[in-house]
Amino acid sequence: MSLFDPKHEAMPRDRLEQLQLERLQALLARLRRKVRRHREQISDVHVESLSDLGRLPVTEPEDLLTAFPYGLFALPLREVIRLHSAVGPNGMQLVIGHTRNDLAAWGRLVARQLAAASVSDHDVIQISFEGGDFREAAGYALGAEVIEASVIAEDPRHIEYQLAMLQNYKATVLVTTPTNAFELARLLEARSIDPQSLHLLTVLLSRPVPPEDREALRTGLFAEIRCNFGVKAVLDPGLCVECTEGNLHVNEDRFLVEARDGELLITTLCREAMPLLRYCTRIECEIGREACPCGRTGAILRPGRRLDGQLLVRETPLYASQVQEALARTRAAGHPFRLELSEEHVRVLIPVTSELFSDTMRNLVDLKKEIEAELRSRLGTGAEVQFFSGRE
Amino acid sequence: MLRVRNLRCGYGSLEVIKGVSLHVDEGEIVALIGANGAGKTSLLKAIVGLLPSRHGETQVRGRRVTGQAAWRSVSNSVVLVPEGRQLFGDLTVLENLVVGGYHNPDRDLAIEEVLARFPRLRERAGQLAGTLSGGEQQMLAIGRALAARPRLLLLDEPSMGLAPLLVRYGFEVVRDLKEHGVTVFLVEQNAVAALETADRAYVLETGEITLEGEARDLLHNPEVKRAYLGKGYKEVWE
Repeated sequence: MSLFDPKHEAMPRDRLEQLQLERLQALLARLRRKVRRHREQISDVHVESLSDLGRLPVTEPEDLLTAFPYGLFALPLREVIRLHSAVGPNGMQLVIGHTRNDLAAWGRLVARQLAAASVSDHDVIQISFEGGDFREAAGYALGAEVIEASVIAEDPRHIEYQLAMLQNYKATVLVTTPTNAFELARLLEARSIDPQSLHLLTVLLSRPVPPEDREALRTGLFAEIRCNFGVKAVLDPGLCVECTEGNLHVNEDRFLVEARDGELLITTLCREAMPLLRYCTRIECEIGREACPCGRTGAILRPGRRLDGQLLVRETPLYASQVQEALARTRAAGHPFRLELSEEHVRVLIPVTSELFSDTMRNLVDLKKEIEAELRSRLGTGAEVQFFSGRE
Repeated sequence: MLRVRNLRCGYGSLEVIKGVSLHVDEGEIVALIGANGAGKTSLLKAIVGLLPSRHGETQVRGRRVTGQAAWRSVSNSVVLVPEGRQLFGDLTVLENLVVGGYHNPDRDLAIEEVLARFPRLRERAGQLAGTLSGGEQQMLAIGRALAARPRLLLLDEPSMGLAPLLVRYGFEVVRDLKEHGVTVFLVEQNAVAALETADRAYVLETGEITLEGEARDLLHNPEVKRAYLGKGYKEVWE
């Protein structure tokens, strides 16, 4: 297993902390000069060691909404050559900007992750993010180009086509979501296609999965399974590298991570266009500093559950408040509801009250269609509505 | 090789360096760029002890040197080539080199190496330093520092006042020094040349480091392009 950037990935802790302190001090100087919000907050704050980080103000996801779209940019828009969206609080949109240097650095960070998964210039990579998640696909494409692997620059439109591409292009690496990987494994099984007939060596998943899922995919696709962890409002992929020990090492030369009351906070040390100071990710985590046999010295991240109630429906983030907002535009406005997740979609369970009750089945069917159409158009994901007796 | 943490220094009530941290690893060329008055020269002076530091710590090869007398920095194999050369104008070229190698037991060998590196100095060995051209004086200033066999060479504005051709030659010399195992901390206003020569760089603005990174990245940094390469906008909201 190789380290793409051993100088930074395996940097001795004392040198890494010196570098982090230098970069943090430079970041604060830039924020004071370039971002009005920070100019007011940190004008008199001086950091002399990394332990002073806790004295600095945090950036809440809501602050990104307040500053939407470009209020936290540290450079004029003309220097920003890539804009990505992320899902913020209650499904609101956030904007993340990148300069040319940011993109180059992103590519090098993702290359670390690919190299850790033994991807090399001999590999052919299929990048498949359902629903055309351009941000993640773009990050992996940048990293693959740095590694000089061959990228299939096409997002397969459906699973059959994806399988055909894997077979025809003899792809050795698949970068995808757990949902898509499972779908592919099921298709192989249904068609009685031996997974060994594909040429896959590695499947890199967009997010961590439990050990039993990893094992099921390893068998179903006959490939090594590696996982990524990222925070879309910060950087995803590129925040972490999963080593052969299964540890998620933070790229600490570029990100400072802390756990505040169990919540993961991230500071971007080098980002030019949109630096973030102590960004509250709303993700539970533990941070380990123990030595890892892989040689990487970056902190080990153990991410946990979402702290803001965000759900994933076919890899698309969803908040209950979004459903509430969609229902508000229908005849079920203001009614209580319950959410259930299935593999394919979200199920919205609505109790039938006297206001909704109708003695004609047709009326309830129409209401169901009306609500489902509203949810589909506003959430961008399939939703099934079920009515149930209020006594249930 | 060199590690600086939270260094503060100044003149009277004026604080010029406001908590600077930086490092230079063995075998690197690291550039410090910044505008006039940013504090570049003061920072170098504080590192070698010519300007007392008010706060913070300086380490050379793991040893704390904060507050040490300036002459001790030569014993630590750290030698400064000051801004404007600061040669002994009334001494000959050779005498300047002898003074530079005063602490070096292998001085004669080191001086011979300098004369081999800069043949022009051999030709002018008996000439008074004050009568040399600007380019020759810069060669002598670097040669005088090399006579001490430094492991870390601090260069303060080596391109100042030189013709473009000599500037290019000067930076070739810096790259060659790296090849010969000398670590270089280079302070420059000529940002393009410095960033094209260095491995890493820092940007100093009014006494604070505002950027750090690979030199090739800083060459493409919008702020560096605007402030030092004369391209772009004046205000962030433009």
